[in-house]
Amino acid sequence: MKESLLDILCCPLDKHDLELEDAEYDDEEVVSGTLVCTECGEEYPIEDGIPNLLPPDMREETPA
Amino acid sequence: MAGDQNRERDRAHTHDDERTRRADVRDTYDRIATHFASTREYAWPEVEAFVETHATDVDTGVGLDLGCGNCRHAELFEAHLESVIGLDVSRGLLETGRKRALERDFDVELIQGDAASLPLAADAVDVAVYVATLHHLPTRAARRASLDDLARVLAPDGRALVSAWSTAHDRFDETEGFDTTVEWILPGGEPVDRFYHIYAPDEFEADLTDSDLELLEWELSSGNCYATVAGAETNDEPRFEDR
Repeated sequence: MKESLLDILCCPLDKHDLELEDAEYDDEEVVSGTLVCTECGEEYPIEDGIPNLLPPDMREETPA
Repeated sequence: MAGDQNRERDRAHTHDDERTRRADVRDTYDRIATHFASTREYAWPEVEAFVETHATDVDTGVGLDLGCGNCRHAELFEAHLESVIGLDVSRGLLETGRKRALERDFDVELIQGDAASLPLAADAVDVAVYVATLHHLPTRAARRASLDDLARVLAPDGRALVSAWSTAHDRFDETEGFDTTVEWILPGGEPVDRFYHIYAPDEFEADLTDSDLELLEWELSSGNCYATVAGAETNDEPRFEDR
């Protein structure tokens, strides 16, 4: 994802702003890092360039 | 008092069940992603017509393909809008979107998210397509929440196209809306059930009318309901109470 996307992303739970932490970049792309809600503190991972903004209880991997 | 607590608990359980069922839809599409995407090569003509009408005078705008799958509709936006977002519940489908964007050289920002709890700011989107996705949400509450959340993220003068499968399709005899599963057959012959709520056309119209979206027009085409909608006027104050 591009960092500018942060302007319009928000927490799916309470719709507050997100802050980018521990970002790693490849050119303009944020390839990994964590998006943290400025209100509730929920953390959303950026996995191989794609932010996972599913509500936490829809995020867990299902056992294969 | 105890009754209230029980009700609270029941509500919490119902909520958990619903999220689990929404996660099931994610798992289903993760499983069939590659084969499914390979059969979704072309944009639907109804979507092309919508994009031609509503995405042509917003060069600086943001487009959203909600339930983007392999991004075949996000691809249509790309020539008209400054930035395009493809959002899907399935990581597997998002990977097929990334592959298509690379192969066909178009830009799309991919987000894994839930259509009923969108991770996008109010009024952030100018044009959206929400095609063949609403009917995969397992409860009416989730479908209604999803329409209201689309109204929130869509600018008041923004436009969206919402489509869902309907009882008007030849394959259904029912006249009332109903829940069902439709098999996806993987290349090896293995069937994978997918949840669908098949809308009665008047039920679709009623859900759109009752939502925060402004229903501008709707039609039946090829067994699908299509609605053109506008976003909601933002009434609630921004939540900056912590500043």
